[in-house]
Amino acid sequence: MAAPQVSRGDSPPRARPLIDIAKVSKTYVTASSGSVHALNKVDLKIAEGEFVCVVGPSGCGKSTLLRMLAGLDTFDGGKLTLDDQTVSGPSAKVGVVFQAANLLPWLTVRENVRLPLRVGGRHDAANARIDALLEMAGLGEFGRRYPYELSGGMQQRAGICRALARDPQILLMDEPFGALDALTRERMNMELQRIWQAHRKTILLITHSISEAIFLGDRVVVMSARPGRILADLQVPIPRPRSFDTIVSHPSYAKLASEIRGLLNAQEGAPND
Amino acid sequence: MTDIASRPVISPADVVAQADLSPDAAMQSAVEDAPSQPRKSGRSGVNGSVIAGAGLVVLIALWIFCVRVLRVPPYIMPAPEAVLNALWSGLAIDPASPKGYYLPLWSTLSNAATGFAIGTGLGLVLGSLMAESRTVEKLLMPYAFALQSLPKVAIAPLVVIWFGFGDGSKVAIAALLAFFPVLINSFTGLRSIEPEKIDLMRSLSATRFETYRIVKLPNAAPFIFAGLDMAVVYALLGAIVAEFLGAQQGMGVVITQAQSVSDVAGVFAALVILGVLGIVLHSSVRRLEHRVVHWAHRGKR
Repeated sequence: MAAPQVSRGDSPPRARPLIDIAKVSKTYVTASSGSVHALNKVDLKIAEGEFVCVVGPSGCGKSTLLRMLAGLDTFDGGKLTLDDQTVSGPSAKVGVVFQAANLLPWLTVRENVRLPLRVGGRHDAANARIDALLEMAGLGEFGRRYPYELSGGMQQRAGICRALARDPQILLMDEPFGALDALTRERMNMELQRIWQAHRKTILLITHSISEAIFLGDRVVVMSARPGRILADLQVPIPRPRSFDTIVSHPSYAKLASEIRGLLNAQEGAPND
Repeated sequence: MTDIASRPVISPADVVAQADLSPDAAMQSAVEDAPSQPRKSGRSGVNGSVIAGAGLVVLIALWIFCVRVLRVPPYIMPAPEAVLNALWSGLAIDPASPKGYYLPLWSTLSNAATGFAIGTGLGLVLGSLMAESRTVEKLLMPYAFALQSLPKVAIAPLVVIWFGFGDGSKVAIAALLAFFPVLINSFTGLRSIEPEKIDLMRSLSATRFETYRIVKLPNAAPFIFAGLDMAVVYALLGAIVAEFLGAQQGMGVVITQAQSVSDVAGVFAALVILGVLGIVLHSSVRRLEHRVVHWAHRGKR
């Protein structure tokens, strides 16, 4: 039984790195607190089809890292490539799942999921794909409802469908289930694992929850407090499909969880999970 | 006080006083009565109408008390029957008759509606440009506020000089009054968009216009409707103020004519009509808003 390995960035890649973050730094200037050093020489390679979870204390720059990958934020040092292309702005290869679903309340669930196609001007041949996505997420009957008629979990499922609408290679998820209650959250984790296994996207997921990170990730990346850098890059040697009933009894689980907790507790403002 | 406005054209100072008094009184009643209106369709439907009805009964009872018991003379406050008579004689009449309310009402309403369309349209377009561009905002915002701080009734005579005594000046003043609430509300609404929604559109490489149309404009809709709600009543007020300055036809003319022959009951009757009209217009905008901006009323279903 392989004990969790602490390695730095260049863990043995299963395939070519689809996401390549090399010595990326970020400093931004705010009106209130002057210049903030958010990220410090972050190195992270993610192979195609891999599921990587990032945990770190609040304000450690993990969201900034995701925003830079999504092309929503600039980076001011290092190298950031997706599929060997330097990130210079938003890309159709990337789907973003936002915190708290971020659906547009004036559009039906179906229209929300179809939005990425509408914006690209790709109106044709989209209907079957949207129906299939809604069906897969168990939202088949709710296409004509409005977001406010759905539960939080269903809203975020629609948010994931929306991110998948353009069939991107990469899914970036910024604390997607943070607003949900614990039970719904576990169910959503199961769903996401199922979706990931069905679609084989490359996923980078940011979370506060150690159990969520271990449950979902092939690797769990632990970040330090600001300026964020990578403290550890841990493999999760637990076979899939995983379930919450069995995962806690897996010998690696407790070891990983306590190691991550230890790393985070050494930081100020450790998360409470 | 009875011979202030004997002819359509009178001194501007008087017009200002007049214009500020009468239509405002009508507007006031419209604004105060109105909030009970939309509630009719909401949860507390029965309560809302009961309260509104009870208020009306108390108001009329007070009125009768003033006239009968306190013996307020009819040239100051006519009896309810006299006002009802005047209303009836104007309403129970051939719609084409020049003595009825229908022709002047139509004239005032169509001018107010044209002014409303122009003013709110301009308000939305300029509000959008100001929200989208800091340069346009910096350029126009001071003038928008300068314009708003001028008493519109004081610029009214100037507008009459520019647009004449025909429909043009009525439409222009109605548009002028309807413009500002929509300008400011659409500007505020468009700027109030959550950054996450802009991030969403950016992540999809949406064009500026797509972001405006799909995200910003719907997001601003509740604000814009609040502006339209004010604008619709202001447009009516503007048309009537313009009519006080001189017009062939309109409710403003009905009021000045009744005043010129000391027909206080006639003035009251016209004010009642304008008040009811204000309530109707306001509640139509509210109803339209509930249909269009349904997501903002999710708790009230």
